[in-house]
Amino acid sequence: MNQANQEDWLDRQLREAAPYIDDEGFTARVLQQLPAPHRSRRSLRSAILLGVTLLASVLAYLLSDGGRFLVVAATRLTTLPTLWLLVLALSSGILVMAGGVIAAISKARELQS
Amino acid sequence: MELTDGDLIARVLVDDDQHAFGELVRRHQSSVRGLLRQLTRTDVALADDLAQNTFLRAYKNIRSFRGESRFSTWLYRIAYNCFREDARRRKELVGIDEEQLQAQRDPQVADPGLRHDLMHALSLLPLNERSAVLLCCQNGLSHEEAARVLDIPLGTVKTNVLRGREKLKRTLAAWGTELIRVEAMKRI
Repeated sequence: MNQANQEDWLDRQLREAAPYIDDEGFTARVLQQLPAPHRSRRSLRSAILLGVTLLASVLAYLLSDGGRFLVVAATRLTTLPTLWLLVLALSSGILVMAGGVIAAISKARELQS
Repeated sequence: MELTDGDLIARVLVDDDQHAFGELVRRHQSSVRGLLRQLTRTDVALADDLAQNTFLRAYKNIRSFRGESRFSTWLYRIAYNCFREDARRRKELVGIDEEQLQAQRDPQVADPGLRHDLMHALSLLPLNERSAVLLCCQNGLSHEEAARVLDIPLGTVKTNVLRGREKLKRTLAAWGTELIRVEAMKRI
């Protein structure tokens, strides 16, 4: 008997001896047993962060004499030459854009890994 | 376009998307349950319990999947560990040995003839040879992948596959001769 033929035959029979098993509710049973998603925990974290930020803002407002430093800074800005204002706006825009790009790249790497 | 396993895993990781995990279970349930049925010598209920346990563990530990192997290979490894732990626990609790279990069970294969004999011959193989043959010859894993799943050296996997196949060939020699003769007749 041809050795290669016999091996082909054995492999084929082994593969055919493993027919597709119908799901028959198996996936549903697994999903029922999964622990609850972590979304609630994530939203709690967001709420805590938002609360702390608001608290810090109120404290900063109260401790800076009703936000007087903001009024002073705004007044100073109006006295700046137009060119300086343009440069300031442009640099702020670039800074925000760079932050967005870095965040997107790091998220993409996280997904790829 | 159908999402790849990698896309679905990313969804589970980023959004804790259980629907995506459900799709992964749907895709791989047949092969995992099939492997466990063969390992448990066609004890369907036990195999399905172990398969459920496998997918639950996979979900809990999905962050440890680094994508260095195929997702199915990673699942087989978890399934094999579940099977080994269960076998060990049963042996400790009841004192039943794997080989003793074989004598108590009949392979519950619906169709008689060749497949019945093949399943029976498979169930007679020792666990190390049976698992190596199942992973490499039936589930199409490479020897390297099987070594990772079974957590044994590559050489041992190759030896176990070779020995297992030899035994199967010896047991099913009559079937092999008959099938090859039939195929030769068809060609004429």
